[in-house]
Amino acid sequence: MEILTASTGSYPRIGDSPEQQRHRQAYAQRERGEISDDEFERIQDEVTREVIEEQIRAGLDLVTDGQVRWYDPISHFTRKLGGCELDGLLRFFDTNFYFRQPVIKEELEWRGPIAKREFTFAKGVSPKPVKPVVTGPYTLAKLSINRRGGSFQSLVDEFAEVIAQEVKELAGAGAELIQMDEPAILKNPNDFPAFQGAIEKVAAGKGDARLALYTYFGDAAPLYGKLLKLPVDALGFDFTYSPSLPVVVAKLGCEKDLGLGLIDGRNTRLEIEREVLAVLKTILPNVGSERVFINPSCGLGEYLPREIAFKKLQNMVAIVEKVRGLT
Amino acid sequence: MREKLEKLGLNLPLLPITTVGSFPKPPYLIDARRKFATKLLGAEELKKLEDQATREWVALQEKIGLDVLVDGEMYRGDMATYFAQNLGGFKISGPVRSYGNRYYRKPIITGEVKWRGPITVDWWKFAQKLTKRPVKGMITGPYTMMDWSFNEYYPSRRDACLDLAKTLHEEVVALSNAGAKIIQIDEPALSVRPEELSGFVGEAMRMVTRGINAYFIIHCCYGAFEFIYPQMLDLPVDNFDLEMSNSELDLVELFHKYPFTKDMSFGVVDVHSHIVEDVGLVKKRIQQALEILEPEQLWIDPDCGLKTRTREETIGKLQAIVGATKEVRKLLGEG
Repeated sequence: MEILTASTGSYPRIGDSPEQQRHRQAYAQRERGEISDDEFERIQDEVTREVIEEQIRAGLDLVTDGQVRWYDPISHFTRKLGGCELDGLLRFFDTNFYFRQPVIKEELEWRGPIAKREFTFAKGVSPKPVKPVVTGPYTLAKLSINRRGGSFQSLVDEFAEVIAQEVKELAGAGAELIQMDEPAILKNPNDFPAFQGAIEKVAAGKGDARLALYTYFGDAAPLYGKLLKLPVDALGFDFTYSPSLPVVVAKLGCEKDLGLGLIDGRNTRLEIEREVLAVLKTILPNVGSERVFINPSCGLGEYLPREIAFKKLQNMVAIVEKVRGLT
Repeated sequence: MREKLEKLGLNLPLLPITTVGSFPKPPYLIDARRKFATKLLGAEELKKLEDQATREWVALQEKIGLDVLVDGEMYRGDMATYFAQNLGGFKISGPVRSYGNRYYRKPIITGEVKWRGPITVDWWKFAQKLTKRPVKGMITGPYTMMDWSFNEYYPSRRDACLDLAKTLHEEVVALSNAGAKIIQIDEPALSVRPEELSGFVGEAMRMVTRGINAYFIIHCCYGAFEFIYPQMLDLPVDNFDLEMSNSELDLVELFHKYPFTKDMSFGVVDVHSHIVEDVGLVKKRIQQALEILEPEQLWIDPDCGLKTRTREETIGKLQAIVGATKEVRKLLGEG
């Protein structure tokens, strides 16, 4: 079993120091028309490079581009689709972060790669492997307003086609592991059949890449058994909502790779080594996973100040070094 | 709850008109706050301008014709951070992203939460001295303070919330001792985790309000109303202030099933829209409210605080509320 440290997605794009204000300032300058879109893109490239460097400096084995270019996980994937417009802001699950809600007006139309360029750039500048992240079809459909009529199922299916295209493009661009986020399924277990169909559709297009399905912001224990049967290569979980999850994982086992979200991505409190080790002791001897990723419970970019995000990752890496010493 | 109000010596007209709490800060105050933040202006000078702005808003509320006034929160930035800065046990974080290019500094609970002395009481007294109409005491509630803060100290959300409740109770006591008879507890986070409502929110609210002779209003945003109704009626408050003009809920059906047993402050203008509603539209919304509530149960207000609107939009929206309420009172044979 290989134990790796990984990012779960976003990373704070600004911090407290003067040089960490660049993204915020450039964003405001572009809004006022003082800099061009190209110039802004160049600055986003620089900030991406910076947050990749920071994740590596914290000691991560697997990084992301920090999602520096994302307005939010929902509108990022719907903004460029045909048949869809963006509406006002809505609270993202139970967080204090807000996303622009998509309004579906017609049949969805994928007009070209959305995540590919970001991934290619990040891969080009990172000395460590980069994991691209996409939002899953079920969550995209669930957080959209359907104004065109028709069934929810058909909307999920259309989003599945869109995300399958994205995954195919990312695999083609050399992504070895692609993370797909489906937080919305945890609070809506009755939608599992529609969800499952969508996951199967996306998985069919992954080619040589490995697909990791991540959920967070809810208790995954009740769905764990069902998630094990999905045609994905890895499963990722948020342990902060779920006191029983370690025992459930230990009991049902796991032959897929696992992402263990043992680091609370929404609280500044640093994890205590023995608490994390206790959970790992419950889980690791009982799973057959080839690779286990230790990672935050969710992306950090919208929920933590930058200096805390860095400390959390450093602390996580230090704990994992201990685990490696034990096994 | 008219009886309770009368016992408290409050003679309010039918369909009392109020607001949720915040008003836009005048440009001179925005400028002064910016200067204060970079130490270009002293605390005393800032306070003078906050006083001035508060006086202006109290006078305006009277002039427009509101029945229950607020101080307008000229002295507050973020509603959770303001209380965190004035309680013991908190630190303030580095910038956290809210949406787009918006960032805020979030409270961090780093130790036992403590009440160090009155936070809002002087402001309440200041505002109440300016008017004969009742001014609401206003606090941010324990659940929202907990949910909107990082927690490095308490073992659980419940523990943090209950200790905050104990602490905020002291502020409520101080407001009540100063003479506040209507006290509003702001809980916009109330519906984020419906399972916690039955868990410990009731206990927290009972701790906040225990033994206080006042008319309590709880302000919660629309959120997941359908998930927390009717359990929320068990909360020990007299009035639920709800965002209604921005909601597509079929309350008629819901309240038919489970009658609404408390008073309600019914939000009739959208605070997120620049468009000023006309009297006709507001009147229609009030009449819709009267389909599900008795006139004695109903208060009228905007959906939420108005601080993000311009002064003109705010005045326009409030005038529409007053105009429409007066027309409805006439139809009810009052006023």
